Formats: sequence, C-alpha cells, structure tokens
Amino acid sequence: MKGLMKSNLYATSANAKIFSAVMALLGIFMIVMGSKIPALIIGYMLSVMVGFSFISIASVCKDSTAKWAKHKLTAPLKRADIIKSFFASQLLWLVMGMTFAGTTVTLCIALHGYPFDRTTDIFMLFVVGIGVSLFMGAIFFPLFFLGGDERNEVLLIVSILCSIGIIIGLIILINSFFPSPMNTLQLILGGTIILACSILTFTLSYPLTVKIFKRKEY
Amino acid sequence: MENILEVQQVSKTFPKSNFTLDKLSFALPYGAIMGFVGENGAGKTTTIGCILNTIHKDIGNVKLFGKEMLDGDTDIRERIGVVYDTDNFPGFWTVKQLSRVMAGLYKNWDHALFQKYIENFHLPATQKIKHYSRGMSMQLAIAAALSHHPKLLILDEATSGLDPVMRDEILDVFLEFVQEEDHSILLSSHITSDLEKVADYITFIHNGRLITTVSKNDLAYHYAVMRCKESQFLALDPCDILACRKRDFQIDVLVADGKKAERKYKDVVIDHVSVDEMMLLLVKGERI
Repeated sequence: MKGLMKSNLYATSANAKIFSAVMALLGIFMIVMGSKIPALIIGYMLSVMVGFSFISIASVCKDSTAKWAKHKLTAPLKRADIIKSFFASQLLWLVMGMTFAGTTVTLCIALHGYPFDRTTDIFMLFVVGIGVSLFMGAIFFPLFFLGGDERNEVLLIVSILCSIGIIIGLIILINSFFPSPMNTLQLILGGTIILACSILTFTLSYPLTVKIFKRKEY
Repeated sequence: MENILEVQQVSKTFPKSNFTLDKLSFALPYGAIMGFVGENGAGKTTTIGCILNTIHKDIGNVKLFGKEMLDGDTDIRERIGVVYDTDNFPGFWTVKQLSRVMAGLYKNWDHALFQKYIENFHLPATQKIKHYSRGMSMQLAIAAALSHHPKLLILDEATSGLDPVMRDEILDVFLEFVQEEDHSILLSSHITSDLEKVADYITFIHNGRLITTVSKNDLAYHYAVMRCKESQFLALDPCDILACRKRDFQIDVLVADGKKAERKYKDVVIDHVSVDEMMLLLVKGERI
C-alpha cells in the first residue's frame, strides 16, 4: 500500500506542483483583496478543493499509458489494495485542497473581516467543495475501470458534470423540504445531508470499483 | 523433479478476436530456464497473463511453487519477478522514485542490490525513465525484477529490441540467477539464439496450442532434420516423421532421434536442428 501511495503521488505531483503554485498566488491575491469580492472567495474555495481532487483522479489514467497498471498486478498486492490506494490518494488531495481553502479564507477573515452575510456560508462552501470532489471520484473510478482507458477524458468530464449536477439536485431537493428563508439549523442540516450523501456514495463506490477491477484483464 | 511452475490444461478464449488458448500444459522445474517460443499471436503473452492472473483463465490450473495463486496470495507474488517487453514503469519516474515505490511494494526489496545493477548496467539514475533507450529501460526493468530476490523470473520478450552486446550481458545475468538451484526463469522470446544459449527447456506453441516441450539436450543430441529428395521422403516410415516442410527441390523432415534416422536412412543428409528451424518446421510444416 505504501508503494502504491508513492506511485500515485508521483503520478499526481507534476500537475499538483503547478496547481499548488497557481493556487498559492491566487490565495495571496485573495488575502490582499480581502472581502471586497466575495464571489472570488467562493470561486477560489470551490476550485481549489475540486481542482486537487480532479488532478488526483486524472492521474489514475497515467498508469495505463505505460504497462505499470499491468505490472502492478504482478506485485504482492491484492486488487482491492490498488483501488483502495486510488480512493485514499483522492482523499489526501482533497484534504490538501481543503487546507489551501481553509488557510486562505482564515487569513482573509483575520485580516479583513467576514466576507459573507451568514455564518454558515463558509461551511456550505466546504460542503459543496467536498461534495463535488467525492461524487466526482465515486463516479469516475468505476466508470474508468469499466469503460477502458481510451475513454478517460470523456469519463473525467462526465464525472465532474454529474457530480455538479448531483449537488445542484440535492440543494434543490433540500430547499423544497425547508421553507425559505432557511434558518441556521436547517442550513447546517441541509449541508450535513449533502455531505453524508457524498461520503456514502464515495464509500459505496469503493466495493463497486473493486468488483469491476477484479474482472479487468490486462 | 519438482516444478516451480505447472500449467495444466489452461484455456482462455477471447470472443472478440476469436483467439483461443487451448488446453495448454507444461511444467518448469526448479533451477531451470524455459524458453517459450511461438510466432506473434501464438498465445505467449496470454499464457503469461494466465500464469500471473492479469488475465482470467476459463479453465485449467496454474500452480506456482506448488500452489494455485489467487488474488490474496501476495506471498507467492513476493517470489516472482516480472519483466514485460516495453514500458514496464511510468516514464515520468526516475530510478530513485522507482526504488522507493518498489521498496513500498516488496518486503524483500534490496536497495543495495538494485543500485549494484544500476551501476553495472550504467543506467543514469537522475534521468527520467522516458529518456532511456529501449535497451536501458529493459535493463532497468530486469534490475527491478531481480532486486526483491525473486525465485521465479517471468520475462515476456524481455530481450527483444536489444543489441547483441546488451543481450549477452542480460543473458549472463539470467545464467547467474539460475545458479541458485531453487531459481527458475520462464523466458518468452522470438530471439531463438538467446534461448539456445541459456534455455534448458524450450516450449513451442502455435495458434494457442502447445506443440511440444523439448530439453536443450534433446534438441542438441537427438532431434535432427533430414534433407530428403521426394523419392527419399516417400520411402520414410511415417512413424519417424514429426514434421516436414517442402522447400524447392528438397523436403526437410524433423525427426526425434537423429542417430536412429542416420542408421535407418543411410543415403539421407541429416543435420542438427536449430530452435529456429524446429519452430519453422513445427509451425509452417506439416505435422504427421
């Protein structure tokens, strides 16, 4: 597992270095700009969380460009371990994105004050960022091993679009249950439902991907 | 003699390509090198896939170290080193990164041994693998396969595309590896001269079917090819003919016992048979 995590890290690191540099620069810009443009903070938080996750799942495709995907199966690993490493790597990169988002927004608030109307808005932004990332991985991984690596670009696009669609769908559904305007407790409950759905889908996607991967031949 | 690898009645069909690996059986003893020979598409890589579980066989058994290897049998895979023909590792890795990954995968990863191979093969350790020549990347893959102290090496066209000097160096490494009596190598190759140099046994397959497994001693001292005129060919006892192939005014006939044939057919020219010629006779010739 340690070797697999390193293998995944090397596959992701080149893209992650550039993305981190860009996001660090953007973060500095946000900290300087402060709360003048809240939309910038929203965009930054979502893109940094989803971006790191996207880079992580896109790196799965790099394995199949060499025979490494096949070679790995000859190493002392269970097929489930290989899949587990992809899921774990995505989670680690999501945590990285959350750290970037958290640090930047904390510094923004510390230096310039709270940029939003409601106290729950930051929580909801994290919920949406985490939700899109987890749904994206949950959709991409089984499709990738089912659909073959020659379709990976379209599968990446499909998984990101589907994850955004699912989050929007869940928000609409939750809004229809609670009368507008929602109070703080209802907002937190709504966010928790979205978070729970994404975690559940991500968790269920793992055994499904393992099942698909066990049938895969190289 | 005990076998490190036993392939018993293994079949695999690919409906899309209409290719079938048909009830293939052979065994590789401990301490031996087996050459695995067949034309392109004969089923060599499919067989290796079935052995290593990268392909799911339809029926049959594969025993490695006396045991069927299932997905959970990671201890068996600890004892196997594998080299594929190209791009074994991602091109964006460096040698150092490869070593770190392998150290995380194999309990017995020997970094010092790996470094020794890297130095012996004169591989640039700081360069990314994608900048390596084909020969260098094959040497790297062989170094990686040997550095976790495997007992069985499975090599799929590992020497193809290498120049003769490099091939010679690598074949020496293989010969050194099998000095340990519990080490064995399954070497699939098109380069039959390599097999003649190192293999103890040669298994021929054609169109997904096993033709024969012969020992190198048998090949050198028993198997022979008779160069017959048509009238001489017609006088042959069909029981003596393994395969025959018509070439212009001559018919080449493969026989299992050259000395017996020499005594029996005094007027026929009888030559030693090379792996290449044997493969051509078995694959392109008519088998009796």
